[in-house]
Amino acid sequence: MRCERRILRYHSLKRGRVRQTWNKYNLYNLHKMRSTVSTFGTFFQQKWAAKAATRAYHGEHIKEKQWERMFSRRLLSAVNMDPAYMAKYDGSEQAAGRGSGRDVKPAGKPSRDGKVEVREVARNTGNAEGMTPYMQMTFAPQERRLDIAVYRALFASSARQARQFVVHGAVKVNGKKMQHPGYLLNPGDLFQVDPEKVMIATGRKKTSNSESISAPKEPAAEEEAEPSGEGEATEATGQPAEELSHEQLKAEYLEGLRLLHQHAKKVIDANKEKLSGGHKKEIRELSKKIKEAMNKARRAGTDVQETGDDMQNLATLMSQLELTPAERKELAKEQEEAETTSESTPTSTTTPDYPQLKPRSMPAPTTTNSKFDNVESQILQRLLEEEKINPYDPSKPYATPWRPRPYMSAFAFIPRYLEVHPKICAAVYLRHPVARPGKSEIPTPFDTQISQLAFNWYLRRR
Amino acid sequence: MPPRIRSSNCPPQQLLLNYLDAPLPSSLLPLHRPLALAASSNPSPSSPSCRLQPQNPQCQQQASSFSTSQPREMTKPQREFRSFLKRMGKQFETHEGNGPRYLGRLQRMDNTPFPSNKSFKSEPVLSSRARRLIWEAVMLRGMPLKAVSAQYQVDIRRVAAVVRLMEIEKRMEKENAPMAIPYARAVEKMLPRANLESSEEPFEPINDVHVHSFTMQQLFVPVSESREFTRKDAAKAFGDHILPPDHKMRIPELVEMEKDILNGVPQMQAEKQFLERTAESERRFAESQKYVAAKKDAKKSKVDTERFEFRIENFNSEAVGKKGRARNAVGWRYGVPFNDRQKGLYKIPTSVG
Repeated sequence: MRCERRILRYHSLKRGRVRQTWNKYNLYNLHKMRSTVSTFGTFFQQKWAAKAATRAYHGEHIKEKQWERMFSRRLLSAVNMDPAYMAKYDGSEQAAGRGSGRDVKPAGKPSRDGKVEVREVARNTGNAEGMTPYMQMTFAPQERRLDIAVYRALFASSARQARQFVVHGAVKVNGKKMQHPGYLLNPGDLFQVDPEKVMIATGRKKTSNSESISAPKEPAAEEEAEPSGEGEATEATGQPAEELSHEQLKAEYLEGLRLLHQHAKKVIDANKEKLSGGHKKEIRELSKKIKEAMNKARRAGTDVQETGDDMQNLATLMSQLELTPAERKELAKEQEEAETTSESTPTSTTTPDYPQLKPRSMPAPTTTNSKFDNVESQILQRLLEEEKINPYDPSKPYATPWRPRPYMSAFAFIPRYLEVHPKICAAVYLRHPVARPGKSEIPTPFDTQISQLAFNWYLRRR
Repeated sequence: MPPRIRSSNCPPQQLLLNYLDAPLPSSLLPLHRPLALAASSNPSPSSPSCRLQPQNPQCQQQASSFSTSQPREMTKPQREFRSFLKRMGKQFETHEGNGPRYLGRLQRMDNTPFPSNKSFKSEPVLSSRARRLIWEAVMLRGMPLKAVSAQYQVDIRRVAAVVRLMEIEKRMEKENAPMAIPYARAVEKMLPRANLESSEEPFEPINDVHVHSFTMQQLFVPVSESREFTRKDAAKAFGDHILPPDHKMRIPELVEMEKDILNGVPQMQAEKQFLERTAESERRFAESQKYVAAKKDAKKSKVDTERFEFRIENFNSEAVGKKGRARNAVGWRYGVPFNDRQKGLYKIPTSVG
């Protein structure tokens, strides 16, 4: 029971098995998968191949014997009954005439007033068109398992990881710790995963570079096994002539930000005794912000104007932070006077920590003529709030600030039999998955034909 | 004729090297043979390794480095994989924008995570706004669950689940418990969402009727032409215990409302009646639940001490089934061993609650 199957060439490119993971190799194998089955070999061979392919995806960590016990030939389906139809008809209209309903005459000619006579056709609406894909329900019993439900609710990046979470006691069912990954959820069961574990599973990996170096590399370079250097090359080497000025501007801003960062450090070092604790904390926070802005600016595709604005804002903030509280008050008074005299647009002072002041002394080689206006202060406030929610924290086991792991979005979907609340990492198993006309609820990468062959295999009439 | 190899001590490749004058293809050379060693053993300019020099510019470099073996080339699948990641797969690496991005995009099939399986679509989930809407309707306005379900076209079980989850969230917020906020934001951006606005498509079918396996067979029932053969008769034909869909409707009050409207009751009044009926049915259900619980409770006699409340229930110790192993039998019986520690027995709980 306990021993795990060995993972041998799990994401082999040659065999191209599709697995229940968010891996990039898996994405490629999924992309490469052919949709049509070639009718090779005997029926037995076809069934065998279909079984092998489907079982590689559906619960490959479950032993075959266990799955055979779980398999059920009863495939669940549901049909929507439209209340309006139910109210109007009692079903006898379907047996009218010769036994299969009356013929519906085609719509008549338009009458004199131009209206087309519409014949009401008895019809139960609310169902999609097409046949019910029963065969896609072959692996439906597995979706009841706790580990697979955790994976489907996007709380783990693979079914095996979900299993590990369960075994390690990070999953609760109806408020009680459940350590059996094979627990079959009942309709109405609520399961909850430790949010920290979910953040680890779905976040980017922490690399030694990304956390330790003061100015982190750009995210593309963070990835393992990627031939890096491209990103850096674009920055350093020649650009097309039209973009050169842009790049120069960006570089200038970046330099400004760097100097600002250095300055913040110097201020703290120089005035260790003078500055109060809160003041120091503020400056430290600001220097963190600067770092972030630099990081953002380094990323390809950011707006040059944005970078410039960031720099200006931060410079303004820096200049204010350098002041002592008394000096601040003075400046505030000055500003008030200036405002009363000029009767300019009222500026909101929503952030008491960062009163809006005119830049007094520019520590960085910046040319800030524009005022630190309302919109910008709002943007900055939003940034600060974001920082509070998603902080840089090297003590975490994932890359901070948290970002989704690469290639996650291609696998992000939630089937309808679950109701997921990602914020608290909890989900409710609403009901057993069903097939509906034209729709199936079981997430399977396989064609109906392959699923049908696999279903036939497990019927055990070989 | 080449000489025969007598003993197996000498590897055949070495023998071949010694005997053959002609230059060898590089594949025949032993892979880990250092070039320097090869040169010393065979200093003549006609040695195969040196002959390769003009053709292979890496030869000089390798001689200076530690390992002399050729770097392993990428296989074709690896090459194709790399090129996929660089070109077509590039758009999936980091999620940008607001909305889903699945592999089906490459074949112009949005909302299809698995391009080979067209019957599975990634269907919208309730946005955080929609969840709040539902929670407010139930908890603040006190609407019956059935009415909320009918108003927003959301399955009644989902309505209940949303309320349950929102309550947990609120409790956790009060307790300052850690929550995965950045994760939730990212996930919400990656999924198709429904805001439950009236302009949107109905979220999901709310009057699901389960297809009973008895009704999946084809029946031939001779019926006189003059007879009205209704849904009820059809259900009866499939089996005595099969219920017609009218009895299986999740919100039968909706059918009643539609009937009222057909009979000429104004829409507003019909809706009002619907609300009353759903509230009434909910009240009755709650009452029956209460009644069942009270009845169960009445069977227990309670002894309240200072520390504990002992609840004593009567059990029939004789009701142990034919083999003495009935599921709900109480106590241990002589001669019937417990096999709850036996190997291979399924001991995972079937419900938690």
